[in-house]
Amino acid sequence: MKQYLLRRLALAIPTLFLVSVLVFALMRLMPGDVATRMVEGHTYAPTLAALRHDLGLDRPVHAQYLDWIGGIVTRGDFGRSYWTRQPILDEFVRRFPVTLELAFLTIVVSVVLGVLVGIVSAVRQDSVSDYVGRILAILALSVPYFGLAVLVVVLPSIWFKWTSVWSYVPFTTDPLENLKIMLVPAFVFGVTRAGPVMRIMRSALLDVLRQDYIRTAWSKGLAERPIILRHALKNAMIPVISLIGLQMPLYIGGSVIIESIFRLPGVGLFFFEALTRLDYPVVQSVNLIIAALVVGLNLLIDLSYAFLDPRIRY
Amino acid sequence: MAYRSALSVLLAILAVLLVADPAPAQTPKRGGVIRIAEREAPGLDPHLTISFLTHSYMSLAYSQLVRFPNGPEQKSPTDFTIVPDLAEKWTVSKDGKVYTFSLRKGVRFHNKPPVNGREVTADDVKYSLERFMAKSGFRERFEPVQAIDAVDRHTVRITLKEAYAPFLNHLASPSFCAILPREAEDKFKDFNHPDAVIGTGPFVLKSYDKGVKMVFERNPDYFMKGFPYLDGVTVEITPDAAARLAVLRAGKAELPHVWGWISPEEARSLKQTTPDMVVTPYRVIGQGFIYMRTDQPPFNDVRVRRAVSLAIDRKGWNDALLFGEGCVDAGPIPCALTDWKLDAAKLEPAKAKALLGHDPAEAKRLLAEAGYPKGFTMPIYHWPGYVVPWRSYYELAAEDLGKIGITVELKPEEYGKYISTTALGKYDKAAMGPSTPFTEVDDFLFGRFYPELATNQSRVADAELTKMLVAQRREMDPKKRKQIVDDIQRYLADKAYYVYVPQWPQYVAHPPYVKGFRHHDGYGLGMRLIYTWLDK
Repeated sequence: MKQYLLRRLALAIPTLFLVSVLVFALMRLMPGDVATRMVEGHTYAPTLAALRHDLGLDRPVHAQYLDWIGGIVTRGDFGRSYWTRQPILDEFVRRFPVTLELAFLTIVVSVVLGVLVGIVSAVRQDSVSDYVGRILAILALSVPYFGLAVLVVVLPSIWFKWTSVWSYVPFTTDPLENLKIMLVPAFVFGVTRAGPVMRIMRSALLDVLRQDYIRTAWSKGLAERPIILRHALKNAMIPVISLIGLQMPLYIGGSVIIESIFRLPGVGLFFFEALTRLDYPVVQSVNLIIAALVVGLNLLIDLSYAFLDPRIRY
Repeated sequence: MAYRSALSVLLAILAVLLVADPAPAQTPKRGGVIRIAEREAPGLDPHLTISFLTHSYMSLAYSQLVRFPNGPEQKSPTDFTIVPDLAEKWTVSKDGKVYTFSLRKGVRFHNKPPVNGREVTADDVKYSLERFMAKSGFRERFEPVQAIDAVDRHTVRITLKEAYAPFLNHLASPSFCAILPREAEDKFKDFNHPDAVIGTGPFVLKSYDKGVKMVFERNPDYFMKGFPYLDGVTVEITPDAAARLAVLRAGKAELPHVWGWISPEEARSLKQTTPDMVVTPYRVIGQGFIYMRTDQPPFNDVRVRRAVSLAIDRKGWNDALLFGEGCVDAGPIPCALTDWKLDAAKLEPAKAKALLGHDPAEAKRLLAEAGYPKGFTMPIYHWPGYVVPWRSYYELAAEDLGKIGITVELKPEEYGKYISTTALGKYDKAAMGPSTPFTEVDDFLFGRFYPELATNQSRVADAELTKMLVAQRREMDPKKRKQIVDDIQRYLADKAYYVYVPQWPQYVAHPPYVKGFRHHDGYGLGMRLIYTWLDK
């Protein structure tokens, strides 16, 4: 187990290195020039050349890369935004809890809905409730979450002069108010993510229900409920957990639009605005931090398999 | 007979009653907070950004030397008469080169450290304007300024290299010349920090929770006694346009945009769903055009440019996309800039036709005459993200030009690329997009047509025109200046350096209890909100 963990951590290093090189290169391949835009809009320097020098953009590309990555590795310094001159890590730390909470609640909603409907569908295979469940899953899969979010915000404002958009309040300031604000966006996002969870849950459970040990449980005369919930469900959860791990980047990516519509001050908007302003260090650092989080989370998920299925050994 | 005269008296009284304002002017109520749903500004320092959001928010907190009229002072949304702000009066020397401003005495900065409510002096004005000239992306506008001197504690003298008619308009623009206290910059390095926002304006910035909201409170020491009526202004950061309209409908905001703007489509939908909402159309300064590399073939040939202009069915666009409410006579000076605009009706009909006519047959003939009987292929570079109806405009332009044999390849660009290359005149053959809505006619003339400027997107270099462009900005007599500006418009009519497209009206929306909120096209927000009050 310990060896496995060390091996996985060692493997994370080349992964993150590749991410850092890719995002660094992609930013510079994007059309447009950040210095021209800044001189046009902001004048931190008298001329374009002075601004380039100031931002370090006149240095060779590999030196720029080493500056950036070196700062992170040696000092934990993720750099400063070109535009606001504020430390990126500060802004990220300030905003990340919002996105994290949104992602967490979204996962809760999608898992609760997906797993429940998936169980019913699998256990009552080919019944009316199975068909209804499957239709709902396909519907959830095919409705784009941004479209649903706009409808959820706009329609009640037209019909009832009410809308589920509030001024954001942190959980630490007022937990109830915070949950009131976060629940609707999490529900909108979660419902559309529940589709794949339900589909995977259903097929995994169907597969497990046909296995020998379940047949044994039936023949022992156990009741349906303990067979499904205690014996089958735990094993069937493995692909569901994997799916959540795979969807992690989507929760962060999708948060851009959800945060924008429900005016939540999360990382998504910070990242998106940096991207439109060609704010290289912000895009690079935020991308790298999120990549590190996704790698770490997937490691946790892999480790959780051993808990779910004792046959798995590391 | 007596009966008839009694009847006519009665009719006269009735007519007076009908014409008179149905609701007599109400006495403004004090108090209340106006909530504005709007996007976040990229920064707070008015000199370090050209963002209209920064300038509008900061106009709540800062004052200028002079300003535009607002609320009951304004005759129209484009009334750019100059009225006193921090300067109570000023004189201009006969040669137009020396401006002397006398400051109001006893005006104090907001009571926040490190400035702590000290009096505004001539040194602050000198410091602020010099900082503008050193740092702002708009600093070109002060290019003719030679020296700024604090003559005494309350007198500022600005000396220009040459007479410069647009000067006072630029001084009055909230986009440019906020008066800032030096101590705040010394302490915070720039004016981006919320604690550094210390001005003399009608509202004081109390708190700024990034990504969430900005809270302004009434400045109790504001120099216009009795103003503002409001207790405060809250900007609720709302990045999404649909959400901004939703919070307006739901009564969670009074303005769905920093100036209350919504599009004509949104206005129709809002009127239908929420009939009690006050929705007012305004003709605002705005302009859009196809711009071309007039320094290269094929657009160095005036016949080709005229053909492009004649291909555009402006009336058709206006009917199809703008409910017929737009202005088709949109260039070279925007329709709303009424003090300067020479209506097409006053031009020679043949010339006016090149400016806004629609005649595909004639366009084809001109192309053949210019050596392109089979037409040619041209790109139109553009940013697809501009507000409705721009995306349709690009497609309609391609369609209309296709009808005269010009094959258009629409080339969408990412915003960063568009704004840092194409919009600065660095593109191949042709591009299309809107113009910044400037307040000074000089920006639409000198800025668009003077050789070598980045804002001269069509790269016009026309010696005869250049002379007139310089002459109008040096002419201090408004009447004479207007004559030169008219001459320029007559001259430009059939040159088709830019091919103008219809301009839409702007709708302003707010709930009925918001009173005294009148749109003004001079950017800023603070001055229009000092006259605004809530009838609740």
